[in-house]
Amino acid sequence: MSATATIYLLTAAAVFGIGVYGLLQARQILRQLLAINLMGGAIFLLLITLGGGAEGPPDPVPQAMVLTGIVIAVSATAFALALLVKLQDATGSSDLDPPDAE
Amino acid sequence: MIALTIDAIIAIGIVWLALQTVRGANVFSAIIMFIVFGLIMSLAWARLHAPDLALAEAAIGAGITGALLLVTWRRVHVLEGRTPQVGMAARSLWLTLPTALAAALLIASLGWVALTLPAEPATAGELAWQRLPEMGVSNPVTGVLLGFRAYDTLLEMAVLLAAWLGARVVASELRPGALPGPAHEEVPLVGALLSLVVPISLLVAVYLLQAGGSAPGGAFQGGAVLAAGGVLLCLTGRLESADQTSLIERIVLILGLAVFSSVGLMMLPLGEPMLAMPGVWAIYLIETALLLSIALTLVLLFAAAPGLRRSS
Amino acid sequence: MNLQEVVATALLLSGCFFYIAGTVGLLRFPDVFSRLHALTKADNLGLLLICGGLAVQQGSPRIAGLLLVIWLLGLLAATVSCHLIARRALQMTDPEQRP
Repeated sequence: MSATATIYLLTAAAVFGIGVYGLLQARQILRQLLAINLMGGAIFLLLITLGGGAEGPPDPVPQAMVLTGIVIAVSATAFALALLVKLQDATGSSDLDPPDAE
Repeated sequence: MIALTIDAIIAIGIVWLALQTVRGANVFSAIIMFIVFGLIMSLAWARLHAPDLALAEAAIGAGITGALLLVTWRRVHVLEGRTPQVGMAARSLWLTLPTALAAALLIASLGWVALTLPAEPATAGELAWQRLPEMGVSNPVTGVLLGFRAYDTLLEMAVLLAAWLGARVVASELRPGALPGPAHEEVPLVGALLSLVVPISLLVAVYLLQAGGSAPGGAFQGGAVLAAGGVLLCLTGRLESADQTSLIERIVLILGLAVFSSVGLMMLPLGEPMLAMPGVWAIYLIETALLLSIALTLVLLFAAAPGLRRSS
Repeated sequence: MNLQEVVATALLLSGCFFYIAGTVGLLRFPDVFSRLHALTKADNLGLLLICGGLAVQQGSPRIAGLLLVIWLLGLLAATVSCHLIARRALQMTDPEQRP
């Protein structure tokens, strides 16, 4: 296991953990969406590191899959953002638990 | 040694930017940090010998996603009458930190196990390298995307279309006037910028499309660059939202899926499996249709509108 | 290390120095206008030096031409966005406090 692979593996793990932390403790939905995207990016990094990108000829199959994944991530994010605007319009708040309800 | 230092710097940068994204003082700075995170990630892709991914991450992951997030922040911010909260109120730290640590540990151990396993003799990747000449393209990622794993790409286009359809259904129930339009006054430099940048984005998109066969590039990166030109036009008020999707827009939106499926079904009567490519011309035809569909879908998602029209 | 590599490295390092200078300006200057000033001037020059260093390192005229176009496009983008930011910042400040 080369040093480059170790570095990027640890980075992917750290960013995934940060994303989980951000998702759990964020109150605003936009922050939660950012955290989900962070988690997605971390998993992509993990996939490419596992695909031997750090040494030798690059494996094209995980690269194609992560490319697909990036496009799907932007589709899901766009739909979630549309839902967020609708939620804001319908309820007047973009938090999941508005403080008045507590 | 130098390479390792660069990797370490990129890794530290990525982790620090992720931290700033979740701990940003307000949502706006969190979004900006996320955009920069995407840009540094594309450096990581370049280091990991994935130039196609570097292009895609910079264009789609950082560019288009960043634009979508910022425009939604502005819409939500404007709709919100009261001042938005900082949103850093933690739900029990005792719950979130151990969960996050456990998740990070899971990923790290998963990766460590997978990396220390003995290498398989005939992985899918090696098969792809061996059979790449059959596809007629020399870029292995394009060969995999449109040849060996064409199903994934076909259904990915369906997902993109479904996302826009869902966004359109949701947006059609908004009260009229709920979405603020772009605030544009005529700024002198912007017209000059547009007259230079929009044709260049078209040129770069078409170049990326045709270069995708032999060099890093492809339909997705080209589509994202073209969408960026379209987003610029929307932001500067040259394109406005329309209430209906025009016929041309409908055709272009389903063009990618339609061309892909038809070409994929072409070889069925000849006994080949579905989505077998009749020749390398089929790959370029499909990629052109994909480029147009992706660009229009992304611009419509940004504008949150059923259609676009030139502003009067 | 032959002359080409030495020149390329020198250009790249000085480009990095200018970027650092611009970032220090971004962090240390008090208001929007001075920050914009530091950022755009230093970054454009730094980009020119980095593009020059890369062009010298590659040694091919085609790549040098492409890098020149990249620099010009970067210059254009920086100019317009700097103008837009400054204009907006000017609109948002009180008339008495304008520089």
